[in-house]
Amino acid sequence: MEQAIIALAASLAIAVTALATALAQRAIGSAGVGALAEKPELAGTIIILVAIPETMVILGFAVAAIILLGG
Amino acid sequence: MILEMVRVQIWGLKEHLERMIPVLHEFGYLQIDDVREVQDVLLEPYSLNEKIKLQQQEVDLLIANINGLIELFTSLSKKRTEPVFDSSSSEEISDIRSKVSDLISQIQYLNNQKKALQDELISLSKYYSLLRAIAPLMPSSSEKSGNATIRALVHTSQMGNMKLLAQQLKLLTKGKFEMITVKIGESTNAVIGIFPLEMISQVETFMKNEKVAQLILPEEYAYLSTDDALQYIQKKIDLNHQELDEIDSRLHRIANNWLNPLQIWQLICKDRADEFDAYTKVGETDYTFTIFGWVPLENLENLRLVLKSNFGKNATLSVIGVPEELKEKIPVSIRNPKSITPFEDFVKLRAVPKYSDIDPSTLVAIFMPLFFGMMVGDVGYGALMLILTLLFRKKVKKGLLADFFGALRVGSVWTMIFGILYGEYFGTLGEKVGIPPLWISRSEGGNITTLILMALVVGFGHILLGLLIGIWNAIVHRSRNEIFERLGMFVGLIGVIILAGSLTRNLPHGFNILGWIVLAVGLGTMAISLGTTSLFLGPVEFVGVIGNVLSYLRITALGLASVFLAKVANDMGGMIGSVFVGVLIALVIHALNLVIGMLSPTIQSMRLQYVEFFRKFYEGGQAPFKPFRRRVTQEAIQSKN
Repeated sequence: MEQAIIALAASLAIAVTALATALAQRAIGSAGVGALAEKPELAGTIIILVAIPETMVILGFAVAAIILLGG
Repeated sequence: MILEMVRVQIWGLKEHLERMIPVLHEFGYLQIDDVREVQDVLLEPYSLNEKIKLQQQEVDLLIANINGLIELFTSLSKKRTEPVFDSSSSEEISDIRSKVSDLISQIQYLNNQKKALQDELISLSKYYSLLRAIAPLMPSSSEKSGNATIRALVHTSQMGNMKLLAQQLKLLTKGKFEMITVKIGESTNAVIGIFPLEMISQVETFMKNEKVAQLILPEEYAYLSTDDALQYIQKKIDLNHQELDEIDSRLHRIANNWLNPLQIWQLICKDRADEFDAYTKVGETDYTFTIFGWVPLENLENLRLVLKSNFGKNATLSVIGVPEELKEKIPVSIRNPKSITPFEDFVKLRAVPKYSDIDPSTLVAIFMPLFFGMMVGDVGYGALMLILTLLFRKKVKKGLLADFFGALRVGSVWTMIFGILYGEYFGTLGEKVGIPPLWISRSEGGNITTLILMALVVGFGHILLGLLIGIWNAIVHRSRNEIFERLGMFVGLIGVIILAGSLTRNLPHGFNILGWIVLAVGLGTMAISLGTTSLFLGPVEFVGVIGNVLSYLRITALGLASVFLAKVANDMGGMIGSVFVGVLIALVIHALNLVIGMLSPTIQSMRLQYVEFFRKFYEGGQAPFKPFRRRVTQEAIQSKN
């Protein structure tokens, strides 16, 4: 039972942060494509902006790893 | 490497300016400053004389014509290639103008012919479909000599009137008028009337008076029978199609023959337009002109020699100082070995470095492929990527895609190196055939701690390097606050490393206190730069740096995703009974993993450079060096030939 809860907690850590990242990237990505259509020179900035929310899921991964390894 | 630039002033008598501009254009290493935007100089901008203005208008018009022709020819030949320099590369503007004018005449003539044929085809098709609908209904009496035929198109709503008209015509022709009607459209009816030929003028006048529109065929087949007219029209349609095909093939031939010269002429004309534009940047007095600009130090002597050999004592070149307010406007010219060029473009994609900054291209060239390799880490995938990039090397030579393949080429080598360390050959295939990892296997759950540690060590190292460069940049810029802020972060991070080592018992317990002290010193140093807000902002800033280090965990995360997808491919392939289907499934999943492996780690690796690494030292944002240089140079012509 304890193992199941640990696994669930780890999966939630990844899943929730992944969803949050996806939501943020959806908004940034669509706005970024619009901006790129008018100013292609913004490509570098847009890549950064799109990639920034991924830190959330990476931190989720770190938390999941801590939960699993700690368990 | 950022090249050292010098600010120069070229001065001469106005009568030599028309010769000076082409000489500087040919020299190609001087960026001319617009005298209207040079803050430390008060000079009137050069006013163009009527002759130059006229030439400028002619060249602008010529460019517009050439652009139009290129657009048309590109759509006709369906390919747009880079211009290959040939004999047309050294043509004069006047020759280009006359050739372009000839081409336009030819194209206009062919287009007019084409349009006339197409218009004729439209009306022929209309007649053809009408006559074909009528033909089967034509009574045999219509072919008797001595009989005439009228054909009319009548709207359905007028058919009642038409019947009354037919009765009147019967009376007029003493019962010799025969009428046949057929519906040929939703509301259109064809009406055919046959009557004795001698009555034709009376019938036609009657029809005209009653306002019935006759179907009048073109004169050449108006008096033919319906069948003969149909044959005649069919022949004419075929002939028109043939002529249209011939015109199209002529247009294609012209497009294929002239697209390359046109592209070269476009460059020549743009070069000429640049020269006219350069005049407007020059300053003038009553008798002299002055040009302000920038030249790389290594080309300064060359410029001096060029001016001396062309103008002797009639022009002088002097190096002038750069005032403080212009330091942010020094154009930045970067030169790196060819292998680093793709990464230089990635840096520029973020922002052109500042003149006083360190050019990070070499660092990006080292770390970006290294992180890519750490993430993908598979000999099989690395080899496939290397083959793919070598195949695309000749096809894609310029642009972001070429840079991507250039970076991927180096990344694929690191991928193979890390693949050997992880023992991955298309995922777990290596293990299955007994090839052990040189270091650790990523597919074993127990090794995840080592992989996380690896990512964190890389993160700490990369961030510390960024901070070191940042401290150096701050010293160069003499920015006290930045020096303390970055130094504080650097020391604080060292403290965190010592603390982590001590808490995980990799370092003796005594290091625990040392770690806290070093961390406190770091935060204290940061506080000097942040001033009164330090109590709140200091820890926030520092947590941000720790977040940056943790961000390197993506190296482990993406690596695990890649290796487990490859494992799934192999395991699923093995679970299927049929060898063929199993291999097919494994191939599909591996192909998917390969595509993901090429894109995602590239973006993540780039992000680690842009967000985590660059933010510690890189500002960028200065303008790039844009020399006044010909697009079509003799060297380019010779090298392409």
